[in-house]
Amino acid sequence: MEMDPLEVFEVEMPGEDYGAEKYREIIMDILQDLGLIRSIGRLYVYVDIKVPYFSVFGMIRGKQPPLKVRDVGDLVAAEGGYQITVGGEEHMANLIRTLWETYGRDKVEQPDRNVLVVLSDESPEDLVVTDLEAEFRKDLMDALVRIAPEGFRNRRNEMGKESFFFLAAEETITSELVAEAKAKLGGMRDA
Amino acid sequence: MLDPVMFTGGVYKHDLVTELVEDLGGYLLQKNVTQSEVILLMLVPHEDVNVLEALTKELRGKLERAPLAGTEIAVVTPTLAIHHLPHPACDVAEYLRRHGAKSNMIGMGRGVAREISQMDEYETALINEHDAVVFTFGNFVDCILKKEHLYRTLSVPVIITGGPEMKKEDLPYAFEYVPNVGRIVHRSRKATEIGSLDNIVAAVGRALDSVRASISKDPLTTTPPRVMEAVREQVPDVMQSHSPLPIALDLSGLRIKLPYDEYHEAVAGVKFDEGVTLGEIAKVMPSRMKNYILVRILPTSETGFVV
Repeated sequence: MEMDPLEVFEVEMPGEDYGAEKYREIIMDILQDLGLIRSIGRLYVYVDIKVPYFSVFGMIRGKQPPLKVRDVGDLVAAEGGYQITVGGEEHMANLIRTLWETYGRDKVEQPDRNVLVVLSDESPEDLVVTDLEAEFRKDLMDALVRIAPEGFRNRRNEMGKESFFFLAAEETITSELVAEAKAKLGGMRDA
Repeated sequence: MLDPVMFTGGVYKHDLVTELVEDLGGYLLQKNVTQSEVILLMLVPHEDVNVLEALTKELRGKLERAPLAGTEIAVVTPTLAIHHLPHPACDVAEYLRRHGAKSNMIGMGRGVAREISQMDEYETALINEHDAVVFTFGNFVDCILKKEHLYRTLSVPVIITGGPEMKKEDLPYAFEYVPNVGRIVHRSRKATEIGSLDNIVAAVGRALDSVRASISKDPLTTTPPRVMEAVREQVPDVMQSHSPLPIALDLSGLRIKLPYDEYHEAVAGVKFDEGVTLGEIAKVMPSRMKNYILVRILPTSETGFVV
């Protein structure tokens, strides 16, 4: 489904208007810090402070393909193997680890800071350096834990392919509570 | 009457300022040297402030009133987790510091949530060693109301800060409530945010005035700065302490940052010109903060004299 970044962003907290407004800012700040805004299409937040629980439902925008060796650097065939020249150093650690795992440490050389040489006939072109999707989910989980008020130590999360649901509460999470939160969030989506 | 002031200026010739203050009968409370700049916190006799102002002008420095100088204030957050720190608790602590207070940040062990939050005896005693305390709470009205049990047993004035507007009557155990602070995840920089910090400083100022008023009903046997001066002279080891502020003043005494077991006898034995020792006019006891020494000066009604 095509969506703009955060095209819908609603926060509802009955009886806590100030909190709702502030939590909007907090969520924006944290998503911005972790660079997640562009990956989330719609976001609904419902908080009932009387129970209390904190719930979030979000729709994920598009799927990110895994990052391969050819995406992170220039690959040329060199004498006895392949040479990779990396532009930025962001993925360097992951790249070296992947090459080590595939070819073995003795087959990978690093003559310069941003240059790697693989001593093999097999092209590393299609090796997966980072699974961006998994990384995104990890960051998203981190963001949700940071966003939820700290006292809400009991957490439940359901990560789907296209959406996610997160619930945090002070007391033990029961199936009734999950159902209630889902119903409230469902109501917000239908409205 | 001593005026608390803060001098900011170059390191070059700043010793002229400290010498002048000593000559005037004032006290140097704290000296912070940051590269080529120096910040001096001082108590200066009210009638001589103009002399100091003239010297400050000559040295191209800046002299400001530091209303909170010589006080210790606790800034308490429900925990030390990322949800409560560094913003806004550090902003509050830093802002209090800029107005001359010694602010200590305290993160509670189990301060989170509405139902399970609690404060233990140690935390209560530690906070009670300060002159006033600022609690930084969140954005929910309901949570702020339900966290009252955290500060109900404290004996120092409590300033509560939080997000929403609330009536003072709803928080009977708080000295004052300062709104518009709440939980934020960026540094305070907007005018409204800085304005809220100013409100906290003002509220702390009023709280300290109430403490001063209650002390003045039964004045202390001597003033904390005078004790500080005597301890510096007679227990010179205190100047070797690695703390940025080896002797921290508060309104009813001081905290000396030396190990209690080794030094409490030396501190109690500090002599004044009038012939009395510190042990006779003050309680010298272990502080809850590390193994420091806490000195509480006795009121005149207990000693029967003033030195």
